[in-house]
Amino acid sequence: MDTTVYLPVGSSSPAVRARSLTKTYGTGEAAVHALAGVDVDFAAGQFTAIMGPSGSGKSTLMHLLAGLDTATSGQAFLGTTDITRLGDRELTRLRRDRVGFVFQQFNLLPMFTAEQNITLPVELAGGSVDPEWLATLVSTLGLEQRLSHRPAELSGGQQQRVAIARALIAQPDVVFADEPTGNLDSRSGAEVLSFLRRSVRELGRTIIMVTHDPSAAAYADRVVLIADGRIAGDITDPTPESALAGLDALRTLEPAVQTGPVA
Amino acid sequence: MPTSYPTARLTLGQMRRSVGRLTAAGVAIAIGTAFVTVTLLAGGVITRTTYDMVAASYAGADVVVSVDDDQGLAAFDAETVEKVAAVDGVAAVQPVVGYYGDLRNGGKGGYLAFAPVPVEPRLSPLELTDGAWPASGDEVALTTKVAERLGAGIGDTVTLRRTVYPEGWADSRSEDPAAELGEPEEVTEELEVTGLTDDPYGAYAGYGGAAAVTSVTIDAWNADEPSPYLVTELLVALDTPPEGTTVPAGLDDAIHAATAAVAGDVAVKTTQERAEDQTAAQTGGQNLVFLVFVLTFAAIALLVAAMVITNTFQVLVAQRTRTLALLRCIGAGTGQLYRSVLLEAAVLGAIASAAGILAGGVLAQVALLVAPAFDLGVPLPGAITPTWQSVVLPFAVGIGVTVLAALAPARAATRVAPLAALRPADAPTLRARSGRARLVIAILCTLGGFAALGLGVVLGMNGGPQFGLVASVLGGALSFFGVVLSSVLWLPRVAAGLGALVARTGPAARLAVANTLRNPRRTAATSTALLIGVTLVTMMSTGAASARSSGDVMLDEAFPYDLSVAPSDERYLADVHDATAATEGVAATAKVAHAILTVGDVEGLEVTAADPAELARVVNTPDDAERLTEGSILLTQEAAESLSVAAGEPVTVTGPEGSIDLSVVLTASAPLNRTLTSADLARVAGDDTWTDVWAHLGGGDDPTTVLADVQQAVGQVDGSALVMGPAAQAAQFRQVVDVILGIVVGLLAVAVVIALIGVTNTLSLSVIERTRESATLRAIGLSKEQLRGMLAVEGMLIAGVGAVLGVALGLVYGWAGAATALSLMGEVQYAVPWTDVIVVIVVALVAGLLASVVPARAAARTSPVAALAVE
Ligand SMILES: Nc1ncnc2c1ncn2[C@@H]1O[C@H](COP(=O)(O)OP(=O)(O)O)[C@@H](O)[C@H]1O
Ligand SMILES: [Mg+2]
Repeated sequence: MDTTVYLPVGSSSPAVRARSLTKTYGTGEAAVHALAGVDVDFAAGQFTAIMGPSGSGKSTLMHLLAGLDTATSGQAFLGTTDITRLGDRELTRLRRDRVGFVFQQFNLLPMFTAEQNITLPVELAGGSVDPEWLATLVSTLGLEQRLSHRPAELSGGQQQRVAIARALIAQPDVVFADEPTGNLDSRSGAEVLSFLRRSVRELGRTIIMVTHDPSAAAYADRVVLIADGRIAGDITDPTPESALAGLDALRTLEPAVQTGPVA
Repeated sequence: MPTSYPTARLTLGQMRRSVGRLTAAGVAIAIGTAFVTVTLLAGGVITRTTYDMVAASYAGADVVVSVDDDQGLAAFDAETVEKVAAVDGVAAVQPVVGYYGDLRNGGKGGYLAFAPVPVEPRLSPLELTDGAWPASGDEVALTTKVAERLGAGIGDTVTLRRTVYPEGWADSRSEDPAAELGEPEEVTEELEVTGLTDDPYGAYAGYGGAAAVTSVTIDAWNADEPSPYLVTELLVALDTPPEGTTVPAGLDDAIHAATAAVAGDVAVKTTQERAEDQTAAQTGGQNLVFLVFVLTFAAIALLVAAMVITNTFQVLVAQRTRTLALLRCIGAGTGQLYRSVLLEAAVLGAIASAAGILAGGVLAQVALLVAPAFDLGVPLPGAITPTWQSVVLPFAVGIGVTVLAALAPARAATRVAPLAALRPADAPTLRARSGRARLVIAILCTLGGFAALGLGVVLGMNGGPQFGLVASVLGGALSFFGVVLSSVLWLPRVAAGLGALVARTGPAARLAVANTLRNPRRTAATSTALLIGVTLVTMMSTGAASARSSGDVMLDEAFPYDLSVAPSDERYLADVHDATAATEGVAATAKVAHAILTVGDVEGLEVTAADPAELARVVNTPDDAERLTEGSILLTQEAAESLSVAAGEPVTVTGPEGSIDLSVVLTASAPLNRTLTSADLARVAGDDTWTDVWAHLGGGDDPTTVLADVQQAVGQVDGSALVMGPAAQAAQFRQVVDVILGIVVGLLAVAVVIALIGVTNTLSLSVIERTRESATLRAIGLSKEQLRGMLAVEGMLIAGVGAVLGVALGLVYGWAGAATALSLMGEVQYAVPWTDVIVVIVVALVAGLLASVVPARAAARTSPVAALAVE
């Protein structure tokens, strides 16, 4: 078994860690090993992309790291919290305070305005919205003119920006995004990706994004490659070309690649 | 095979995927058809019970000979009876006679049926169980029940009071036959109880039992009646019972020959044939009234069920938009989709109706098994008798209603554009289409209906209750139709208003309110289904409460006392008074004297007099009685005006002993008009007075019981006395109102239950179609409790809006009905049945809460991962 722990380059303390994380769907003959022992660290204050071919286990990894699904074995840490040990009540609290999500389908509530959608997590937690932080988010994401609109009146890109603001409103330790550009045209996609990057650079957030698109992955500070439920490589400061090369390497079933500057 | 029916294959496939969603709708239809089934079976039970009672009265007769003519005057005479008895093969003949009389043992007893001692035991439904049949005119045998009621046993003497009318009384054309023929005479028969009988088949169950006397006696009593009992039926016992269901031709001819002298059509039939004919004649009308009455409520229940079905199919179609669009893309025609939805409805209707019929049958059978535990006084059959109608009708109705309810959703399915398959999926919403025609019709119906209702009320209040009622009922129905039709337009707004209050309680409640309002049509339809039931229930209980309190007030005004006892002679007064006062339940008594005097210049007026302190203790309007002092007289405003006197002015009262000036005190209580003190009366009236005892009842006891006890107590005293009990009358009136209300509300409750199932259904459907949304909410921090809370608020809001609006509408309709129907009787009291209103609202809220439990559990179970899943 591969015991390498994929560490971020030049990192401070990791925001998220996985240790021997496995997930098996079904049993016996029909068992699918969606994750077959994953060890990986994600640094705080970084924008990391998880990339791999379809069915490689990207989404599964993200669900486990975010405490949305239970692991078959192994551990997942958020900071120093082992989230594989938490019950539903603690997980709910964790999701309120420490984790944010951005979905491929946006998943905004159709009956609420953009602003109501953004502030919903804080309200659910029974807290009050920090108006300064809201203003910062709204201006960073360029939503000033759209706050009173309902999702049906917004374009896909705008909806996804509202979703990003919603994910950031509670100032979580980490934001997970699963294929956030999957439902967007390339221009809106690019816009959303640069907003995600700005959130990391300017607002000091930590974002982990799942994608199968090398040009999307290139917006990240680091790319973690995954294939057949295992970490298969790591690219620091990716470019679309290096990301594509990494992905191609996986497709040709080559052994794990390690590119980028090695410290 | 399935490939040749693409629509059917498609339908069944769709249904398999929506089993859960269809179940609740199926339950609604099943309840409706069960209701219809039970009603039809109950109709059968009534017919069966009647047949059993009719057949029982024919006892073991082989043949029944009957006579009938157009005037109902034909009868068999004694000679004919003998001739029939002499026919070859006839063993015995029993003419069917009866008598109805007041049989008592002391104060106990009342009117009951008398039967003759049978010629032949098998020709009487009564069986002797103890002692002997009466042999002479002063003997009687009682059924066990009657003996119990009279408190009499073998050897005791009971009395029958009957009136002997002079001969020719009935035929007399004179205006006052008494002047021509002499007064009818009251006679008392003393009868000794010689035997006890049993009525095993319940032939006299409807009369509460029977007393048997010799047939000579019964004939003699009948002869003294103004219109004697006509013998129209002869029960015949044969030497050898006939085979099959027809009377042998030879016997038929012989009996016809024996009865040739009788005017009218003589029929000779087997007992079974005769009983069937009689049952048909007796239950025809009655059964129809019963069926129409109960089926009206079944129709309401089915209407509500139809709303639940429409709702369900609308949601199903919305959820299947993508599938439907895809089918259109690959070549499905609109007709195919339309038929597919209707076929689905028909299959659902068939399965649900079959289940409903089965449930209805089981329910009716269980009711029959349980019924004997309650003494209903009627011999019910032990098993239901399903007819083809009681199966086919509910089945057809169930399928019909389901298919009709699915028409609009089926049309919606045909409007799905093939393009919809290409659009991104989103939670389906049913847009409230403009429906301008609906709006116009609804407004016209509502306005026209309320105008007609108003007209009805005005007519009712101005002495035209017949036309008033017609206008009110039509107007009420029309306006309610309008209100229900337009509910989609205004009900969501009311829900929003109510929701705004609820939303302050927290984010989960705010989510709930927003969810309730995102599908206005669905919310409206669900709430409206409940509103229908609640409106009708509230209307009925408001009407009943108003009738009850109006009745109380009217009786209080008409009768100032709870009970009065009028002795037949002044001699018995003291004893009657003491007997009344000593009865348990009587709180106070007063002796109230009456005399005919001249008041002012009007001669021949009846005045009332009593001791003011005593009077105040017995009347229901003590304030008026307390104002009476020596030297004054109570007069109503009208009476004072007609005597041209005002309050405080003197009026002269003159009697045989002299006259006296009394000062006028006004009273609102009509029965206390012209009341003075006993002392003043004594000064003018002398001996020419008569006295009643008025009594006031303590609150605790049932007035009907106290009335009976007083009657019993007074019955022990020498001389007779007339006992009247307005309080008992009021109690009986209230009881009748309560029983009717109970039945009606019970029948309407079915509609309410179906509507509540509709609430669960709507919530479940919402939860299913919002799976991804619920998961998103969970992912961004909604706890399981908050999710459950959100759905609980949703359920309570939908149910609460329907209930609150239903109560409001019900009050309006109830009051309008009371104003129209009761104004003729006096001033109407507009009561609010608070207990009922609160119960209805609490039940609705709790049901809304419970309705959310199952869907909420399902929603809480969905993992947040679903939010991230690409569909
Ligand atoms: N709920 C599930 N049940 C069974 N197998 C699943 C389930 N979810 C994912 N899988 C399987 O696990 C593997 C990884 O899935 P996923 O993490 O969704 O891949 P990716 O997001 O990289 O496309 C796939 O083979 C997929 O078929
Ligand atoms: Mg995926």
